[in-house]
Amino acid sequence: MIKLTRVSKTFDGGRSYAVKDLSLSVDRGETLVLLGSSGCGKTTTLKMINRLIEPTKGIIEVGGKDVMDHNPVDLRRQIGYVFQGIGLFPHMTIEQNVEIVPRLLGWPIHSRRERMQELLNLVGLPAESFAERFPDELSGGQQQRVGVARALAANPTYLLMDEPFGALDALTREALQQQLLTLKNQLKKTIVFVTHDLHEALLIGDRIAILHEGNLEQIGTKKDILDTPATKFVQDLFTIKRPDTLT
Amino acid sequence: MSIDALVAYVVERLPELWLRTGEHLMLTGCSTLAAMFIGIPVGILLFRATYLRGLLMGVIGILQTIPSLAMLVFLLALLKKIGALPALIALTLYALLPIARNTLTGLEEVSAEVMEAAKGIGMQEYQQLMMVRIPLAAPVIVAGIRTAAVVGVGIATLSAFIGAGGLGQFINRGLALANIKLILLGAIPAALLALVVDFSIGAFEWGLRPERKRDKKGSVQSLMRRLAFMLPVALVLISIITYFTKPGWISKSATQLKTSHRIIRIATKNFTEQLILGEMMAQLIEAKTDFIVERKFNLGGTMICHGALVNGEIDLYAEYTGTGLTAILKHPVISDPEEALNHVTKAYHERFDAQWLKPFGFNNTYAITVREADAKKNEWNRISDLGNTAIELRAGFTAEFAERPDGYPGLRQIYGLRFGEVRDFDAALMYEAVAKGQVDVICAFATDGRIAAYNLKPLKDDRNFFPPYHAAPVIREEIMKTHPKLGDVLSLFGGLIDNATMQRLNFEVDGKKRRTSKVVEEFLKAKEIL
Repeated sequence: MIKLTRVSKTFDGGRSYAVKDLSLSVDRGETLVLLGSSGCGKTTTLKMINRLIEPTKGIIEVGGKDVMDHNPVDLRRQIGYVFQGIGLFPHMTIEQNVEIVPRLLGWPIHSRRERMQELLNLVGLPAESFAERFPDELSGGQQQRVGVARALAANPTYLLMDEPFGALDALTREALQQQLLTLKNQLKKTIVFVTHDLHEALLIGDRIAILHEGNLEQIGTKKDILDTPATKFVQDLFTIKRPDTLT
Repeated sequence: MSIDALVAYVVERLPELWLRTGEHLMLTGCSTLAAMFIGIPVGILLFRATYLRGLLMGVIGILQTIPSLAMLVFLLALLKKIGALPALIALTLYALLPIARNTLTGLEEVSAEVMEAAKGIGMQEYQQLMMVRIPLAAPVIVAGIRTAAVVGVGIATLSAFIGAGGLGQFINRGLALANIKLILLGAIPAALLALVVDFSIGAFEWGLRPERKRDKKGSVQSLMRRLAFMLPVALVLISIITYFTKPGWISKSATQLKTSHRIIRIATKNFTEQLILGEMMAQLIEAKTDFIVERKFNLGGTMICHGALVNGEIDLYAEYTGTGLTAILKHPVISDPEEALNHVTKAYHERFDAQWLKPFGFNNTYAITVREADAKKNEWNRISDLGNTAIELRAGFTAEFAERPDGYPGLRQIYGLRFGEVRDFDAALMYEAVAKGQVDVICAFATDGRIAAYNLKPLKDDRNFFPPYHAAPVIREEIMKTHPKLGDVLSLFGGLIDNATMQRLNFEVDGKKRRTSKVVEEFLKAKEIL
């Protein structure tokens, strides 16, 4: 379980807040989507969970323990992270990229190998033809699947995904979204997923948290948000942009 | 020159060429390696410690701007040693800047996105550096090493000035003897060596590329890569081995060395007459004693030879009374030759534990020299005759003459001469410059063969300004004490060579481009000394 209690973050000594007084929790096995436009504080929130950024105020708990009491390196190794810009290591093969966290954790080589093959097959990139390639030889979609495989490698309880499909073309994005849904049901991870795409949020999230200028506008299931928008911002969001297919 | 003669010329010098190339590669390789061991950690340190950047990069940058020769001479004074050590230190200092700067730049240029991923998946700081940042910066770092090594090949040619050997030795000797073939014998292999070094580091970079991980184990490709990776290291190793174990076919005296350990090291400055005198002393000692002669010829000037003698790096070289008096002892000019010799003999014994032996006979003083045609036209016979016309004349002086108290500064005082323009020349190029009319007056050496050959006229020193410059062997007293016979042997030269003879010998080598050792051998045989 991930729990945020009255978390604030300022980068300029309090003149403005990237995240303000945010409280929310993500249940075990649940997928929570942080939805909002750029600059709303959703990526900052995500990075605070694995201490890439540290909160100015408030408490963040992962598995019932304050993240500030965790060793940041150990904490990050327990949390899978899929980066916005993919962030694969260009000088390592796909195999090495996927194996990196197990390697840092000191797994023996044969279990690493086994895990790598399992994961590449899981994300639809057969190990025999992809393991020895380099990231720049793969398409954007393929690279992002490797990013997902890397995040899952050490079998983390938690998965943080920062607009993982943002830079992909529409067709690839849709394919990957479908694949993520399958994975999600298969793996039962606790996932925090950041996006600015309404359609993606409604498709993937068990619950959705809508952020605006650092404030939480509403948190709830798809039904809650569509039927009883808590603020005018949420209402406008869906009346203007609500896709017909979702009604 | 026919192709055959050219080939023969090179073949004859092949053993020495091999030796010098080995030395050159050793100097470049070892200094580049040393600069890597310092420069890469410094680059990493500067990347982490931003506040040190301005200061340290500034210092390294300033080192880079020090002229190579000045750096060599400075290190010589500091270390009190000639030879490979000061050369290696100088080359290392020059190689630092490109390596440290490229390391810093390479580390900075790694994308922030990749580094955030490295941190975000749970790498420790040092793991981020070692597993991600440095491997990604590697091509830029290697490019820095490549620049350093290739530039190093060029700078290493200057090491010959302080007796460190290398291909610069051919170039120096060629410059001293005005012999283009010798210059090329050093310059062309140096250029080729630069290409080889560049290629080998390029190969190293190819061997290091991440794609290597995809090579099949045991495949030709993977073998090639491993070889390419090792190439620069192999080159440096070969050069070090050549440097320390001169193969038998290179060193003629290698077998002799085993039976006798008595070595005498003879040095010369870097001009023709010095090379002739050095060779003369060497051949005589080889013939009349069982000493092994080590020739440390072509050192870059008076101060270097003198420093080496005082520090016991060399045992013997020919010095001129006037130079010893004014340049070394900083004593005012003494016009009487006998008195000058007595003074330096006494002072060298007291201050430097070195002994002046009987002078060779000739007086190689400076001679203010003009074209004979000009002299006739203007009725110039004495230096005083130049008088007020001097302001219309262009002078070409050696750098040493332009500054020495017994050179231009003194000349201006005693004769009241002011030349319109003074240009610095290498001693070897001065004569041609005046003969071709590029300058009008030079500070010729009285024994130079080109004075007669180029129809030049030395003007009479009517106010006895120039001190006497009688050449004599100067030897360390330590070696004289243990082997007094050396003094007897070298005194055979006493008064043997007058000015005309020295002019002729100089011209044989300078003008007719004959080998110094041949000319010397003929002369000694003709005088029935050998």
